Amino acid sequence: MIRLQNIEKVYRTSAIETLALNSISLDIAKGEFLSVMGPSGCGKSTLLNIMGLLDAPTKGDIKIDEQRTDHFSDKQLAQFRNRKLGFVFQSYHLINDLKVLDNVELPLLYRTSSGNERKKLASAALEKVGLSNRVKHFPSQLSGGQKQRVAIARAIVGRPEIILADEPTGNLDSAMGSEIMDILLQLNATDNTTIIMVTHDEYMASKTHRLVRLFDGVLVQ
Amino acid sequence: MLTHLFKLIWNKKKQNFLLMTEMFVSFIILFAVFTALVYYYQNYHRPMGFEYDRVWKFGYNAPREISDPDSMAAFRGSVRQLIRSMPQIEEVSFSSENIPFGNDNNVGGVNYYKKNVGADKYTVDDSYSAVLHVSVKEGRWFSKEDDAAKEKPVVINETLKKSLFGNENAIGKLIGEGGEGMGNMKIVGVINDLKDKGDFAGPHNGLYRRVDTGNYGGGAILLKVSSDADRAFESRLFKVLSSTMRNPDINIQHLAYMRTRINNIRLIPVIITLIVAGFLIINVALGLFGVLWYNISKRKSEIGLRRAVGASGHSISGQLVGEALVLSTISLIVGSFFALQFPLLNIFDLPALTYLIAQGLAIAFIYLLVMICAFYPGRQAAAIYPAVALHED
Ligand SMILES: Nc1ncnc2c1ncn2[C@@H]1O[C@H](COP(=O)(O)OP(=O)(O)OP(=O)(O)O)[C@@H](O)[C@H]1O
Ligand SMILES: [Mg+2]
Repeated sequence: MIRLQNIEKVYRTSAIETLALNSISLDIAKGEFLSVMGPSGCGKSTLLNIMGLLDAPTKGDIKIDEQRTDHFSDKQLAQFRNRKLGFVFQSYHLINDLKVLDNVELPLLYRTSSGNERKKLASAALEKVGLSNRVKHFPSQLSGGQKQRVAIARAIVGRPEIILADEPTGNLDSAMGSEIMDILLQLNATDNTTIIMVTHDEYMASKTHRLVRLFDGVLVQ
Repeated sequence: MLTHLFKLIWNKKKQNFLLMTEMFVSFIILFAVFTALVYYYQNYHRPMGFEYDRVWKFGYNAPREISDPDSMAAFRGSVRQLIRSMPQIEEVSFSSENIPFGNDNNVGGVNYYKKNVGADKYTVDDSYSAVLHVSVKEGRWFSKEDDAAKEKPVVINETLKKSLFGNENAIGKLIGEGGEGMGNMKIVGVINDLKDKGDFAGPHNGLYRRVDTGNYGGGAILLKVSSDADRAFESRLFKVLSSTMRNPDINIQHLAYMRTRINNIRLIPVIITLIVAGFLIINVALGLFGVLWYNISKRKSEIGLRRAVGASGHSISGQLVGEALVLSTISLIVGSFFALQFPLLNIFDLPALTYLIAQGLAIAFIYLLVMICAFYPGRQAAAIYPAVALHED
């Protein structure tokens, strides 16, 4: 489903160059639930961003669904992200000025769909994460776990084949964390969604199909 | 997408209120600035209404010895004869001192029954219109037939006609010199407005009275000279007139020169307005730019998120411009409501068209500014990688 070949990422600031990823090659199969672990600053987020086409690698190739993406225009990239990918971030990234339902509808705004259809799909997604009773709330009126569930609903509303989750439970206590984890496991099991999850939690990682470890930008299986 | 825009705007009403206030204030400032500029521009392009080329003003004080009206009339007759006899002189007209482009004004009330307006009052003779090539719109200019008239004959300009009678016919109507009752001045003609206070001055009411034979001591004589009237002729004329007037206090000036002089004086407020306008416009532009830029830079992570879920750079900048346009439209509607009060209530006595043009310009300017101010930072924000935008919280 996702194939990384010799990915290298260098961050250049005026002062220093950081080699955040060093020659990463990785194959992820369709329907796989992969977890990525490693110490802070080792390049996990960078890796996820590159897989999610949110950032471009300095070197190397990415193939998603057998398609090379390096020649994509901005518009094609946007459409590709919209159709194929769903994101969950540690800090939720909800739009505070939009109600829960509108936040969840967001990905659908960037494809052709009617208002009614959007509402229906967003409500269904919220039901899946168990938040049907909070549609009219603003993000500021929700707990951290609830916010992350909204973010997951937003990630799945467009039925993407791949979900990229960067420490989705990082800001949550263990009870709420396991709730989120259950939702992800469920998605993977029932919809065969490919999931790549960055985590610091060995227990969570143990529930996934495969675990890869990153150390200083290098994969150490 | 539009409903989404409105939701977003509505949910952020507090922040947006500030932004809209800024836009509203900017609009009002621009409206004021453009009103002044449009007004000057319109005045500049108003037809002159008369010819000042080859017209000279001869200013004098009549000899002290002549005191009774009859001898004054006789004296003026002889002066006229003397001047007319020179081949370089085409026309001669006696006038009160408030000649075109001069420094003197004579303003007073004019009334038609209860309607009372202020007007510039000129005392002139029958050849005034010929010297200045004034064109008569209705009725006629003064002539000999007015000698026997029961009521004092007067000619008014188009602006005064409009102020007193609107679209009604003015010829034959009786008007007075202010007050309320029926007047004793009969309108015999309506002439074009004379732009006689410089190129930037606005229209004003004008009342022309026929000189009462003998009844003025000082004043001005307007001379239309032929094209071969040169400096030598001017000094000869000066000598002849100063000995005739038996008074050293005389002068000759060319109307063309007087026009330049009065324009220069009038230009000062125009230039000041322009400078102030320039500063205000730059201020407004920078202010709006700053506020919009700030608003957009605060939304980096939102922009990153939108990009992550499928927004292209174009749709991001489209959204930001769209939001700014909706906000500015609301501010402009409110602003226009205020702006429209100026012509409706006739504040400052400027023509309605001036306000409307200024309003249109201010609206266009604000829209242009908002588009640039929203488009440029929007495009910048949309151009960075979503990962980078998401990184900034
Ligand atoms: N935009 C950037 N500019 C410069 N350096 C960066 C940038 N983003 C990340 N880095 C650097 O790249 C390296 C990897 O960062 P990354 O965010 O991928 O780490 P991480 O494994 O996700 O860490 P954490 O577990 O703390 O989230 C770090 O050394 C970081 O300082
Ligand atoms: Mg990270």
